[in-house]
Amino acid sequence: MSPYDLLPRFKAQYDANNQEFSISGVVRPQGIDELGPSIALLRDAIGRVRGVLYVNVRRLTQMNNAAFHAFSRIIIDACRARPELKFVVITSSVVGWTSRKFGRLSGIEPNITIEEYDSQFYPGQGFLEEGRFVPILRTQTKMTWRHERAILPRHGMRAGMVMADICCGIGDFAVLVQKEFQPSRIVALDHSISSLDYARRVMREFDIRGIEYTYGDASEMLLDEAQFDLVTCRHSLQIFNRPELILKELYRICKPGGRVYITNEKNSHCLGEPRAESIRWTYNEVAKLFGHFEMDVELGPKSRRYLIEAGFEDIRVETFMVTNLDGDPQDFADVIAAWADVYAGEMATRRGDGPEFVARFRQGFQDHIFAALHPKGYAGWPIWVASGRRPQ
Amino acid sequence: MGPVHHDLAGGPTFEPMIQIDMEIKTFVSAWRHCDYVSTYMARMVSQNRSDSVRHSNLFSSAFNELLEIAFRTRHADGELACRVSRHGATDRIELKFPCVPEERQFYEEAVSQVAGFEASERYLNSVSGDLAPSREVALLELAVDYNATLRVEEADGGAIKLVVDLPLEGLQH
Repeated sequence: MSPYDLLPRFKAQYDANNQEFSISGVVRPQGIDELGPSIALLRDAIGRVRGVLYVNVRRLTQMNNAAFHAFSRIIIDACRARPELKFVVITSSVVGWTSRKFGRLSGIEPNITIEEYDSQFYPGQGFLEEGRFVPILRTQTKMTWRHERAILPRHGMRAGMVMADICCGIGDFAVLVQKEFQPSRIVALDHSISSLDYARRVMREFDIRGIEYTYGDASEMLLDEAQFDLVTCRHSLQIFNRPELILKELYRICKPGGRVYITNEKNSHCLGEPRAESIRWTYNEVAKLFGHFEMDVELGPKSRRYLIEAGFEDIRVETFMVTNLDGDPQDFADVIAAWADVYAGEMATRRGDGPEFVARFRQGFQDHIFAALHPKGYAGWPIWVASGRRPQ
Repeated sequence: MGPVHHDLAGGPTFEPMIQIDMEIKTFVSAWRHCDYVSTYMARMVSQNRSDSVRHSNLFSSAFNELLEIAFRTRHADGELACRVSRHGATDRIELKFPCVPEERQFYEEAVSQVAGFEASERYLNSVSGDLAPSREVALLELAVDYNATLRVEEADGGAIKLVVDLPLEGLQH
């Protein structure tokens, strides 16, 4: 018997609290009898619920026709036997066939509806994925790269390795890594289609090879287990409402003995001189503003705890400060101006902040820019780097 | 990679990418071979697609259905040949497997129905009906859910060749 045969291929479960039947994994039976317990569980769930039964297939990577018909048959029969019962099938935009295949069911029974799970399920991230933010993301990466290119080898980066960059955004970090360290393969994943389009365009225009950009949900990836020597995830755990779910996935796709590398901020520690007080007040408010949208931009120093709790060992943590002295101070000022636009603009408006607060909030950013461009000034943006090894 | 393949019918040129041949006896000895082969070939041919992971998932899903059809023929002798070639956004699967004349007629009829304008309606009827899923339904689904075009080609030695063109690269998210 090969190790393949010992792996559970799929799992079905029922959550009574949420009235949710979920099935995940690879469901390719030769005969329906192999599905017996799962079918029984679905029948049982249908018998118990009132109102709506959610059928969650978000993590269903494969299902053959034999299985699809078996499960569909039960749902369709239930619709006909109990017209008051509704079914909501939750598919994933990442698993291309699920919405198309399960979507057919709503054409058969109006009581079956399909909801596609996608990036809208991440609160607040839309603020950071607008096309106009792209130039600033590039500038940010340029500024952090000056530090990270020296830091990465201390966290396991080596030439020839297989790496994944999860939440790759516009893909510029993956390109820099490819040029500097020549890994044999980079898989770069993000859930923003527009960011990936941009990344692919850059790759084509500059004839870059060895990077595979893929659309995916970082908390539920299609990527196989234990296939990467190094998994990077930068500035992203801090903008997910449940970072532990992402870390669990980063752990899963990392090879035993490989490392997961994360970077995050502690926004309230952004600093500048002169006008330090105003700057400090504004960045304290930035942290609260993100908190309102369920994002923790204070996560940086918590990285060690998150990595330990996710099961990693040999945790390494360090910090670096991006400053106005790294290259052109105007780059630093441009980044702060872009933050001010989004944070004191759309985000503050969405929270319902009044004009008095917004004016003071915006002033702190202007003072930060003033410090960055001042001939004797100093402005900083601290970043926490952490990595952990997946046990052998 | 082999030489460039020129379609004799004057159609587009498909470039061979990968081929796997096995004795049908070996193939039908274990059901999981369908999963193995579809997963492996999907990974191989998807590497240079714009989204390799997504393409691989879709390709494996479609290809597995074809392999399950070949598996269920349950012939004891002959060969299974799976070949994938590419023209732009379309991947062509050519699946050759042993087949008796009656089966050939079945596949020819099934494929002609798939090409019909009512394919979508036929597929919905099959899902909502009481009958167990058939090989015909699997072929219908390829056309309906994957925009596949199918045809049957002559093959020598008591075999049949299903030719399936899959424009997966163009399928929207």
